Parts: sequence; structure tokens; C-alpha cells
Amino acid sequence: MAAIPIETKPVKLNPGLLAWLALIGLLLLVGLVSAIQVFWHGLVITNMSNTVPWGLWITIDLSSIALGAGAFTLSAIVYLLGLKNFRPIIRLAIFVGFIGYSTALLTLVMDIGRPDRFWHPWVYWNIHSVLWEITWCITIYLTIMILEFLPVVTELKFFNRWPWVHQAANWLHRATPALALFGLLISLLHQSSLGATYGILKSRPIWFKPSMPILFILSAVAVGPALTMAVAFVIEWITGKRTIDHDILRTIARFSGFGLLVYGYLRFWDTMATTYYGRTPSVIQGLTLLRESTPYNFSFWVLEILLGVVVPAIFFLAPYFNRRPLFLVLGAILAVVGVIVNRWNVTVSGLTVPLAYSPGTLYTSPVGSYFPSLTEWGVALGVIGYCLLMLTLGVLFLPLFAEKEAHA
Amino acid sequence: MSKKKTRVTVELTRRDILSLFGVATGSAVAAVVLTSGPLSPFAGLQREQVTAGQESAGHGATGINHWGMVINLDRCIGCEYCLRACSAVNDVRTDKPWNIVVPEKTTTGHPFYFSRPCLHCQVAPCVEVCPVKATFVRPDGLVVMDYDRCIGCRYCEVACPYDARKFNWETNNEENPYIPTWGIAEVPRRPRGVVEKCTFCKHRIDAGLKNGLVPGVDPEATPACVNICPVNARTFGDLKDPQSNISRLIADNPTIVLREELGTRPSVYYIPPKEGL
Repeated sequence: MAAIPIETKPVKLNPGLLAWLALIGLLLLVGLVSAIQVFWHGLVITNMSNTVPWGLWITIDLSSIALGAGAFTLSAIVYLLGLKNFRPIIRLAIFVGFIGYSTALLTLVMDIGRPDRFWHPWVYWNIHSVLWEITWCITIYLTIMILEFLPVVTELKFFNRWPWVHQAANWLHRATPALALFGLLISLLHQSSLGATYGILKSRPIWFKPSMPILFILSAVAVGPALTMAVAFVIEWITGKRTIDHDILRTIARFSGFGLLVYGYLRFWDTMATTYYGRTPSVIQGLTLLRESTPYNFSFWVLEILLGVVVPAIFFLAPYFNRRPLFLVLGAILAVVGVIVNRWNVTVSGLTVPLAYSPGTLYTSPVGSYFPSLTEWGVALGVIGYCLLMLTLGVLFLPLFAEKEAHA
Repeated sequence: MSKKKTRVTVELTRRDILSLFGVATGSAVAAVVLTSGPLSPFAGLQREQVTAGQESAGHGATGINHWGMVINLDRCIGCEYCLRACSAVNDVRTDKPWNIVVPEKTTTGHPFYFSRPCLHCQVAPCVEVCPVKATFVRPDGLVVMDYDRCIGCRYCEVACPYDARKFNWETNNEENPYIPTWGIAEVPRRPRGVVEKCTFCKHRIDAGLKNGLVPGVDPEATPACVNICPVNARTFGDLKDPQSNISRLIADNPTIVLREELGTRPSVYYIPPKEGL
């Protein structure tokens, strides 16, 4: 059982790996320099302003949490629905989820004005705030994922010197289904609350709608597993070793395809109800303004809907494409970009439309405009470096694809 | 033969996927119903919000006073004295004043000046969204900030319907051009990384009440913007006291509040220009 350590071969450095590590190092260096700049000078060196106080970093938070949704979705499939044949991907899913959530927390610490007070939401509660609830859920869920994943880490030879570690790991491993179930509840809550963060703000017409939480969670449930699937394929291509049975990966792709269809369907009705049929003046004014002053129309219809939903759904569902891993990975990349563009569009577009509150003119304040500064991009690159580093270390040192569950 | 086997697996998983989707959508719907529908644990709160009259338990001013302001748009001449006095007394950065003055036009084309402090909403969106309760409604109706607790997430700034909150993107080392001409700094500058806002000069109200003064009557206990106004466009006082200047002004004049439909119940009332809006 868990006490049987998996043999791992010592890692050999070859030029390719070295170049790869150098690239990661470079990204991390850029990120580190940018982070130090932010902590030193404050958020003034970002391009965020009082009109658009949230930007690229919030987009990264939202996207990385959504893309980490593969962990809870696939855990639910295995432990709640009991579809045991998906078990081999659970480790990878939780690992990718962990990377996503830790990325979000890292970026959040950069984004808040007082990083030294990051612990305040844990101590000073405002239970009415969705952001408070999200902070708690992310903390709890990150802990759950660490607990779920610890047994995998303890399989490293390194831990053989302490027998009690394996004992504890074994005990933790038995608790995994319970942890997964609890994690599922927590995830359903915060994945949708992230949408509610925007959806509940009555002062912002193009955000204020009840579909917000649903759209967020559906896109996360659809695209999260697709990312896990693509990561498995890519690791297989790079290492040249079969990671996870292709049947499983293709079924996950199909699942994501259906998820995207459901998401697209809701998105369609959401758009129709708020614009074509609803015609709420404030919403129409906001969208008109966006259409005239930003590339919102293009990014919505082409990037979000066509390339982010329709094309991946075809790749995932049509047997011709579903058979070919290249298209599955391509579809996953498109869907991931679609989610990121969506989170960006939601955040920045909603803030671009000025508030209408004065008794006379429609908009007192100017139309918001925002494009991330060099430092913001630097932090983003550093975050990508962190994700790649974690993945690389995981592939090199952790038994991500061991099938020890088979005889558990 | 192996192909046949694969096909069986696929059939099974397809059915599984359907049931899985049932659960996934069901849970999503449940999550939404529970967080925003009538079944929500906050339903009672929302009902109260809708049915509440001027005063209600649990929201807004619970003490004996409720400080409010009336701004007479018909009188305002757009001199920006209120902006300057406010910026001096509260030592606010010039590029993001707490109190703004904007020239506007009525629908009939008649020009007027619109000014806006924080409206001190009794059901304040900023208070509701703050993850750490760094901003709250005091028993006397003021919406105030705890600058030592704020983490600088800026959600309140995003949620405020009236653009009344400003974030400190950098340490304020700027010389304040309004000091000493328009007043002297009565409160310390806020640190970098927190959100700040108009306080109705709470330091004056609190100190004044301790010394037996009446806010809105005695200038020492009244917000700087109200004192400085050369045309008396601003009136400050206790909304709960029917005999106060402000209550009588509201009783005798047509008044509006900004974006009443949002249900935020601001403590700042506006008397529209006599030409209408």
C-alpha cells in the first residue's frame, strides 16, 4: 500500500532540460525583480488607477483558480460518482489544481495594497462579503489539496528514513474520499462566488446579473479538466513515457466538450437576455461604449465564444479530432485562453464603463482605460515561471503517474 | 477484439458523463439558489432592506443621532471652496479629492454645479463587500474606515456606486497647496496601500460632541466643506432630530438622493435646481 515506495530514477541533466530550467530561471528572475519593485514602490508602478482598480493580476487570480478546477471536478468524478477508472489522473489533477490555487494566492499578495496584512481576512470576519468567503474557501481548499497530495510526496525515497511518515501518509490516504467530498463543497462555493464578486455589484450594470456565478463555475468545470488532460499529453510527449491511458484522457476531453456546450448555451441565453431581449438602458449604454472604445466585440465573439468555446467543443467531441491528441491539446489551449480572455473581459470591461450616479450627465467620470504596465507583465511572467517550475519538479521527482491505488 | 472492448468502455462512460453532468448542473443551480434566492440565509436581511423606511433595526444609524447633509444644487456656484477646505483639513492628495465639484446641465440645458462628498449610505455596498470589516457604518450613521485594518483589496472602491473611495497607490509626500490658505491638516495622512474616503470630518463631530457642541450648528463641530460654503449650499445636522436645520430643510423642500433605486439609503440629500433636473 502506501508504504511501498516507488522507485524513481535519478534525474539526468541533458542540454534540453538545462535550457528549459534556464528559461524558468529567467522567468522567475523577471518575476522576482518585478515583485521587489512592487513591494518597494507600491502599486503606483502598475497601470491600475482609481477608475480601473483591478487589472491583469485579478485576471490571473480568477483564471488560475478556474483552471485549477480540474482537481475538484475529477475528484468528484472518482470519489463521489465512484468512476474508479478515472483514478490514474487524480494525482495529476490535484497537482495542477494546487499549482493553480497557490498561483492565485501568490498573485493576490502582490495585488493587495498591504501584503503585510494578508492574514486579516482570517482574523477579522465579514461574513457578508463574498471576498471574505472566497479567501476562506481558497485557504481551506489549498489545505485540502496539500493533504490529498502529501501521501504522493511521501512516496519519495527520501522519506524512507522515517517510518512514521508512511504511517501518517497511509492514514491521510484513507481520508482522501472524505477530503475530496469536503473539497467539492468548498469548490462549488468559491468557484461560483468568484463570479458573484462581480454579479452582486448593483452599481455596475454590465456585471449585475445572477448568471455571473453560474457562468464562472461552469466554465471552470468545463475547462479545468481539459487543462489537466492537456498537461498529461504534453508531459507524455516530452518525457516519451506513457502517462495516463489515452482512453481516459479522451473521455475527459469529451466531458469538457459537453461542459463547454452547456457553458456556451448559458452564455448564449445570458447575452440574448441582457441585450437583444432585455434592452436595459444602462446595459446597452455600457456595451455600446465598450464596443466603440475597446476591442470588446472582437475579444468577446472571436476569442471567448468562437475560439474559446465552439472550436474546442468541436475538437473535444467530434470523433475525428477526439482521436488525435494534437487536437485535444490544441483545443485545451484554446479553451484555456478563452477562459483567461473571459476573466479579463469581465474584470476590465466592467470597470471601463464609468459609474452613472450624477443627477445631470450620464457619466461624470471619464471612460476607464487600462493596459498592464511592464512591472505587471513581469509579475505575470514570474507567475508563469512558478507554474512551470512546479510542473517540472513534479514530473522529475514525484510519482505523478504511479498506479498504486490499484491495490489499495 | 480490443476494439470491441474499448467501445463498451466508451458506452459506460458516456452514461456516466450524463449522470455526472446532472450532479454538476444540479449543484451549480443549488449553489446559486442558496446564495442569491429566497432560500438564502440572508433573505431576512434583504427583506428588511426592501421594507425598511427611514429607520430600521440592524442597518444604518442605530444611535441617537444620524448625521446627514443637504446640498442645495440651486445655490451652488461651483467655486470649489468645499473641495479645497476638505482637501486642506483632511490633508487629501490634490489628484483625488474626497469631495468633487462638477459642472452639469439639466435636461432643459440649464447649467448647474453638482458636488459630492461620500454619501454615507445606510445600506452601504462598500461596507457589505469589505472582506475584513475595515469599513463600517457607525451608530451615528457615518461610514468610516479603519485604516489599520484595511488590506487594500479595493473591492469597496469597485463596489461604491458613487465613486467616493480612493486608493493610496503611493505614499503621499506631496506638498498640500491648500494648506494653510484653506485650513490646516486636522488628521494624519493615510498610509500607502489603503483605501480612503470622506469622513464627514468625524474628528470634528466627535470632539465637538464631547465639548457640548452641536454638529451642524457650531462650526467647530461641523464638516469643513459646510462651514466654508459662501452661499450656504450645504447644510449639516441630525436627520433623527425633527427640529434640526437639516430635517426642516428636507421637510420644506423637494429633495432627491442619488440612485435611490439601488436602495443604498444615502445620508446626503440634494435639493434640485428650480429649473428641474
